[in-house]
Parts: sequence; C-alpha cells; structure tokens
Amino acid sequence: MKRMSTDVLVIGGGSTGVGVAWDAALRGLRVILVEKRDLTHGTTGRYHGLLHSGGRYAVKDPQSAIECIEENRILRRTHAHCIEDTGGFFVVTPEDEGDYPDRFKAACAKVGIPCEEIPLREAFRREPLLNPRISRVFEVPDGSADSFLATHVTAQAARQAGAQILIYHEVLDLLTEGGDGDRRVVGARVCDVVREEEVRIDAAITVNAAGAWAGKIAAMAGVPVNVIPGKGVMVAVNHRLVNTVINRCKMPADGDILVPVHTVAIIGTTDERVSDPEMLTIEPWEVDLMLQEGDKLVPGLSRSRILRAWAGVRPLYQEGYTGESRDATRALALLDHRRRDGVAGFLTITGGKWTTFRLMAEKTVDKVCEQLGVERPCLTATTPVPGAEQGHYWLGHRLHEVEEARLQGDLICECELVTRAMIEQAVANNPTVTLDDLRRDVRLGMGPCQGGFCTFRAAGILHELRLRAQEAQPQTDVNGGPPWNVAYLQSPRHSVQTKPAALDSRVSPLDNPNLLLRDFLQERWRGLTPVLWGRQLKQERLDELIYLTIMNVDHLPEDGEASPLTEFWRFDAAAGAKEDGQ
Amino acid sequence: MMLDLLVIGAGLTGLMAALRAAEAGLRVKVIAKGMGALYWTPGTIDILGYLGAEERAVQRPWERIHELPERHPYRIVGVERAQEAIEWFRIRTAELGLDYGGRRDGDNALTPSPVGAWRPSYLLPAGQRAGDAEDGRPMVIVGFQGMRDFYPHLIARNLEAQGQAARAAVLPWSVLSERRDRNTVQLAEALDEPKTQQRLIDALRLVVKPGERIGLPAILGREAHSWVLTALTQELNAAVFEIATLPPSVPGIRLATALRRCLEERGVRVEIGMEAIGFHAQDGVIELVETATSARPLKHRAKAFLLATGGVLGGGFDSNPSGRFWETIFDLPLTTPQDRRRWFRPLFLDPRGHPALRGGVAVNDAFQPIDVAGNVVYTNLWAAGGLLAHADPIAERSLEGVAIASAVAAVEAIKLGSFAHA
Repeated sequence: MKRMSTDVLVIGGGSTGVGVAWDAALRGLRVILVEKRDLTHGTTGRYHGLLHSGGRYAVKDPQSAIECIEENRILRRTHAHCIEDTGGFFVVTPEDEGDYPDRFKAACAKVGIPCEEIPLREAFRREPLLNPRISRVFEVPDGSADSFLATHVTAQAARQAGAQILIYHEVLDLLTEGGDGDRRVVGARVCDVVREEEVRIDAAITVNAAGAWAGKIAAMAGVPVNVIPGKGVMVAVNHRLVNTVINRCKMPADGDILVPVHTVAIIGTTDERVSDPEMLTIEPWEVDLMLQEGDKLVPGLSRSRILRAWAGVRPLYQEGYTGESRDATRALALLDHRRRDGVAGFLTITGGKWTTFRLMAEKTVDKVCEQLGVERPCLTATTPVPGAEQGHYWLGHRLHEVEEARLQGDLICECELVTRAMIEQAVANNPTVTLDDLRRDVRLGMGPCQGGFCTFRAAGILHELRLRAQEAQPQTDVNGGPPWNVAYLQSPRHSVQTKPAALDSRVSPLDNPNLLLRDFLQERWRGLTPVLWGRQLKQERLDELIYLTIMNVDHLPEDGEASPLTEFWRFDAAAGAKEDGQ
Repeated sequence: MMLDLLVIGAGLTGLMAALRAAEAGLRVKVIAKGMGALYWTPGTIDILGYLGAEERAVQRPWERIHELPERHPYRIVGVERAQEAIEWFRIRTAELGLDYGGRRDGDNALTPSPVGAWRPSYLLPAGQRAGDAEDGRPMVIVGFQGMRDFYPHLIARNLEAQGQAARAAVLPWSVLSERRDRNTVQLAEALDEPKTQQRLIDALRLVVKPGERIGLPAILGREAHSWVLTALTQELNAAVFEIATLPPSVPGIRLATALRRCLEERGVRVEIGMEAIGFHAQDGVIELVETATSARPLKHRAKAFLLATGGVLGGGFDSNPSGRFWETIFDLPLTTPQDRRRWFRPLFLDPRGHPALRGGVAVNDAFQPIDVAGNVVYTNLWAAGGLLAHADPIAERSLEGVAIASAVAAVEAIKLGSFAHA
C-alpha cells in the first residue's frame, strides 16, 4: 500500500476543505487534502452563487450576518476574479407586510452592513423587470460568486504553498489509536478511485470538512456528529432577468433569492431536511414553488425558459438541535473532538456558508496550530489567490475576448462561449476525469442547449488530446498530477496565448470517450428532467435527435462499463426500477 | 380558387404529402413556421433501426414491423403500402438527381456515425453508400485541423473496436477555407467551387492508401454534390463516403432543397415563416387556418387540412409545468400522460424511450385524428409524421420511414375520403 504522511489531512474538497488546506499551507504546515470526486462536487458546486452581504441574516442570525459582511469585504480582494460586483436589493413586495423592513434596516446598521433605502424610481431604472408593486428597496453589497472557479483557484494557491490536493480519493476508514477515553485519529486509509489503489495517509491532525457527509466521516472514528442536511432546490432561468441580486425583505424563506450568475439567473431555494445527502431528487412541487415565488420578484419569471434544476445539501449544524433545517443556524461550527468526545487529532468544521469559507478555515487552522503547539498567524485574509489581479468578473468578458482574438470558429460550446483552447488548458492544467469536471472548470454545457452540441465536440477533443498524451513525454508534479494552473481558465484570450502543459500519459478515464459521452449526457439529463416542458423540451428533443438519430451513442462499444461517475448512473437506474414496479 | 389541401409543416412528411397530393391532381399548398427537421437529419431514410430494448440493430426492418405496438403508424399503414411508399420516394428522388439506394436483400445498411457507431438505415443517399459495413474494405476517416464538428480519430477508434479496419487522417483547414468560422453548410458551398474541389483532391492524394475507402464529413458540395462525389471517386480511384454530423446537416438540406424545388416546379407553393396561430371550424369541419405574418393575420382556406407539424421536435406540441401537453394548432387530443411526473425515465439513454415522447395524436385507419372514444375530431383533418401517437421515431430510428409512409397513406385517404363525397 502506498503510504504518505503529513501534518494536516483535510477531508473534503469543497470551499471549506480547500480553504483549510490553503490556510494551513500558508502557515507552513504540511497538508494533504482528499476529495472523493472533483473539487466542488458537493454542496459548493450546487449553490446559487450568492456572495452574502449578511443582510439576509441581519435580523434572524446576527452572528452569521457579521461573519458575512466581514468575509464579503475580504473575498472581494482575495478572490476578485471569482466575484461579480452586482450589488443586492432587499425588496418589500405586497406580501411582505409588518415591521420587518424597519427592523431589517436597524439590524443592518447594528452589525455594520451598509444598507441604504433607495428611491423606487432608481430601483426600477436599474432593474426594470422587478415587480412594479414593490413598495420599498434597500441596497446592500451582495455579489455573485463563481464557486467552481474560487475553489479551484484556492486549491492552486494551496498547492503553491506546498499542499497536496488529491481528487477522486475517497476515505475508506479513519485510522485510530488508543483505547476508550484516550483515542486518537492518526490519519486515514483512502482509495484512489481512478487507479483503484489504496493509500495510507498518516496525519498529526485530521480535519473533517466533508460538508453534508461530515457525519459519515466522523462515524468512522466512532464520533457522533449530527449534521442537519438541509436540501435546497435551485432553478436556473435562461435569461439574466436581473443584474442585481434580489432578496425578499422578510424572514428567510423558500424561493426568496434571485441571483444573476454569468449569463443566467438562479432562483432559490427550498430548505428541507433530508435523510441522505446523496438523495438529491427534485420533486415537481419544489420547482413549482420556486417559479411561483420567483414571479413575486419578477412577474413572468415562471414563463421564462427554464434551463435546469438542481439541489444542494447544506451541512448545517447545531448541537442538540432537532427542529426544521430552515431555522437551524447558518453560523459555522468547529468541533474539537478531543474536548467533545475524547478523540484527539480530529476536528470537524461544518455549518457556515460559502461566503464564510475563509473564516471557517481560519478558525479551524487556529485550532490545528494550537493542538500542534505552533504559533503562526493566519495569512489568507491578506493573500490574493492567483488571478485576482484580473479584477471582478464582468458579464461580457468572454464575448469581448472571443471577438478581440477572433475565436468564433473555435467555439466548442456556443452557449457559454467555451473555446477549444480553454478545454485543452483545463484538461492540461488540473486533474480532469470526466466531462462534468470540465463543466466545473469552464462552464461547458451549462447554457440553453445543456450540452447538445458541446458534449460530442468535447469528447472528440479530449480523445485527440489523450492520443497526443500517449505519444508525448509528460511533465508532471511529484504526485504525478498535472501542473495545477487554473487562474486564467475562464479567459478565452489567455487560453489561446499560452501553450498547454503536456498531459499525464498514464491510463486515464479520459481514454474512453464513449463513457465520457454517456456519463455527461446522463448528468445533464438529471438536471433537466425536473424542468422539461415547453421550449426546453423541444431543445431536449433536438439533443435526442443528435445523440440517437445522428450519433447512435446508445450503441457504442464498451458503453456498459463502469467509470468514476457510474455510481450516480446506477443510482438513477435504481430509481427507475422503482418507478416500473409501481 | 379554393385549395383542395393545405399541408401544415414543411418537414419530410409535409413535403412528401404535398408532392403526393399534387401528383394526384389536388390543388395543394404547404405552410410552415420553420424549415423542417430535414435540416437537422443525416439525409438517410431510416425505417426501423431498433426494437424495444434489443441491443442489436434490426436487420430486416420490414420483417419486424408486426412486433411494433398495434396502433403504431406502420401497423396502420401496413407493410405492403409502406414499402410502396418508400419505393415511390426512391423513384421520385432519383428523378430529382438524388440517388437513394440500400442493400439488395432488404437489410438495413450500417454506416458510421460521427462517433463511430454503426447507424442502421434502410436507404442511403449515393454519398453515404460506400460507408456500409457490408463492404469490408478498410477505411480512412479524413478530418480537417480544428474542425469542431468532426473528429476522425474518435470515429476510427470506435470502428476499430467493432472490427472495421479504420484509421484517421487530418488535412489542413486551409484546404477548405481561409476563414475559421465556417459551418458544414458553408464548407459544402465552398466545395461547390472547382478550385476548392481540386485542393481537396490534391490533399487527399497524399494521405489515402490504395484499397481504402475514404470517409469525410458531409460537406461534399451543396448544389454540385453529385459532381463533387464523382470527381473525388474518379480522381482518387477510391470509394468515397460522407458522414453527416451535427446540425445543420448538409445531406438533409440537399433532400429538402430538391423536394421544395420539385414542388415549386409543379406549382405547389411552400410558404415558410407562417406560424399557424388559430383556426375556424363549424360543425366539425375546419374552414380555415390563420397564420401570423407581418402586420396582419392571413387566412388559409382549404377543403382538407393535413397536420404535419412534427410533435415536440417540430414544434407541433407544447407543454407546461402544470403537466399539460397539447397540440398547438387544433388542440387535438393527445395520448401523452397529462402528469409531468410520468413524462421521463431516469436514464437518458433508456432503450424504451420516454413516455412524453411516445405520446401524440391518435388517428383512425384513415389517419384522421380521433378522440379517446375513437370519434373523428374534424371531418376534413388528417395527420401524419412525427406527431403520431404510439411511436417514438427517434428512439426507433424510424423518423423518415414513418414520415413518408404516413404522409402517403394520409394523402391516399384524403383522396378517397373528402373528395368522394365533396
């Protein structure tokens, strides 16, 4: 068995885990992070993209609100290119009666969130599609964040500081020593699921940042951690209906946030306690509720073309809490299992939200240092990640660069303006095992046709890249991984100007293009079926024409084999068997 | 003079129906919102490629028709009449200079798809026949550097995996065009030019080995296709075939163009950009269909109406989140479940297809739309093609066969029915 050793083992490649790896590495600790799939495969990659000002929690959860506004200010500097400075409105609709708006304004002032009531005329000038019956509008410094890019680029920063990031490495078991009352976690046994190898990682401290899966990890050390899995459903609308984040000015509830993200707008969310973080089934009523509530912010939203629906599971935590997940605190929770459960060398960090991931990491690594007996200050608040000098994201940047560099003929995904060079860079510059990984890197297949045209093209391009890799001498890092460089992945111009790194020549799941096709088509289908009607259904039928009539992808050789995504594929098949049995 | 027949829809169904009606001496006109699905399809005539969950492609489609559901359009038409319809299509298109043919024994031909899977088709245009798996000679699949819709290595890999000797070759993009942002239709137009043809022939000479069949993306001329095909075959002394790739699809466009020209020559108007927005009926008889056009609605009166709007794909059906699924012009009864929880299966590639896409307009033996009780909805309305119930032409690979067979059967019924007592 391969064996590795480290000061800090981080479990979970979401925003929190990657933040912990970055923070710890900057403080000079040796760090290994393991993630069972791709970075942001869990909740981080399934959220609406709101960079909170804290306004949403000002009345209900002031501690969360304070954390949000402080982190909002920091991330705008450290992760500038991952953020669009949209600003946010809190709007009072005819249904939002009572004294909440005034309490909201007072609460914002109290916790230090800049909040100004703006004239309605001004609000409607900036957002003409807003419900004309809105009676008051407050402006706050909300923003829109790209959690895929932010996490990947934070991982790059962590690696530059010496951390090792191992994706597609699943924890099989935690290693413990000692008996009752004197137990200690000393690392983990993990499985490299791509190469099907077991790896033993010895660690002085293990940090459980597995999010919604944190309870499962903790159970491996015999420690009960009752994460409250709060499922949130989100729906993406074809158009960017608003350019400002729109929040209902009322107690947080379902379907009261509308976030402009890249070329689309996302309405969210529900909050429902679920039993299993993998159970991400979306019910028709959940989508209906989002659309119905969305109409209150932007009348007619429900008649827009809906692109996709998905669900994420919040890893909420409240010691001893048994109520509804909507009312559970959004504050971060750092559990020191030595004090709490008598199990040393083991911390769990959960709760919180994307906006506060850096702070969560800071508090966690403070505790790690304390337990390791080292005194090193946190540096993340003042250290920009690679690429931050590009400044904030702005909507037209890809189109602008495609036009300036005349790349129209190289567009592989016309919906999201992804060029061939961007795909080649993404594959060469960070570990890529599936087309879905590529989606998280460059937004492949996230637009209106949901992969109709680009899935085939990307599979063809990856196949050609892999052929070249098998012929070339690869330059890989000490782990055999690619040189992680993702800071400019979103830039068509930069991608075409830079020579891509040579690919890893070892056997890779990318070597079977047929499974890439099958799995990505299935992944897209999963998000489409809850919202397939009207024009989006017509588009889907065209996609069927492409993949069945034209391509015949359901009759390719080896199309029944397993792949890193097959578990999800089978999972869906099981649901189908149930349907047929009814 | 009043029209005998108004055909709504300009896909293969609508065009073939109009041609059949014109041949029978009916005064006929075609109106359509868009260009029809032929612009997306590979230009082959697929009768039946797969049956249910069977992994293997259907070998002899006509011998398997009886296994389809009882009210499948083919079962209503009957095998013999369907075969006659396809033969009529073959003869007519031959007259138009499109040489459609298949295997001699009535087997499905198998040609490479753009991912290198074998596609089962009954008739192939001349430009695709040399790709048939039956011909065992090795293939060289030739692509162009940076062409985003064609990946020769991928095709060759999968053909090899299925026992077909194949290799890939890549030519410089500059053989085809100086501009990078050209789609397959524009490239086909470029190859209408003799200079471009010669550049391609010269470039191919350098990569092709003796005895190899040459597979190229379907860009071998738009107007001058048969000329380009002959020139390549003769100059290179090799079999040449096209592989139709992502839409827009040149072979489908060639067929659509030929059929529309043929109709024009017969005096049949094909009016595109005419979205039907309403109709007027009295006592179960449709009097007119209204279309949206600039500034004012137009009324189209006819004795008979043929609905060929193509279901979900053609825009003939619409649906909404409350689970309603409806036919967009006449609001005809559909067999589609009116409950969106029952529309789709969890696996995209489920061989059984999806319930929402198998539903459609139920018809009687004369291809007249009927309601649940089996009663004709409008006495002068017929329906044909992709909107028919009890078929999923995409899952079955029966798109063109269902279109042609049902179009012919519907027009025959119109001739018998409406004008016998008119």
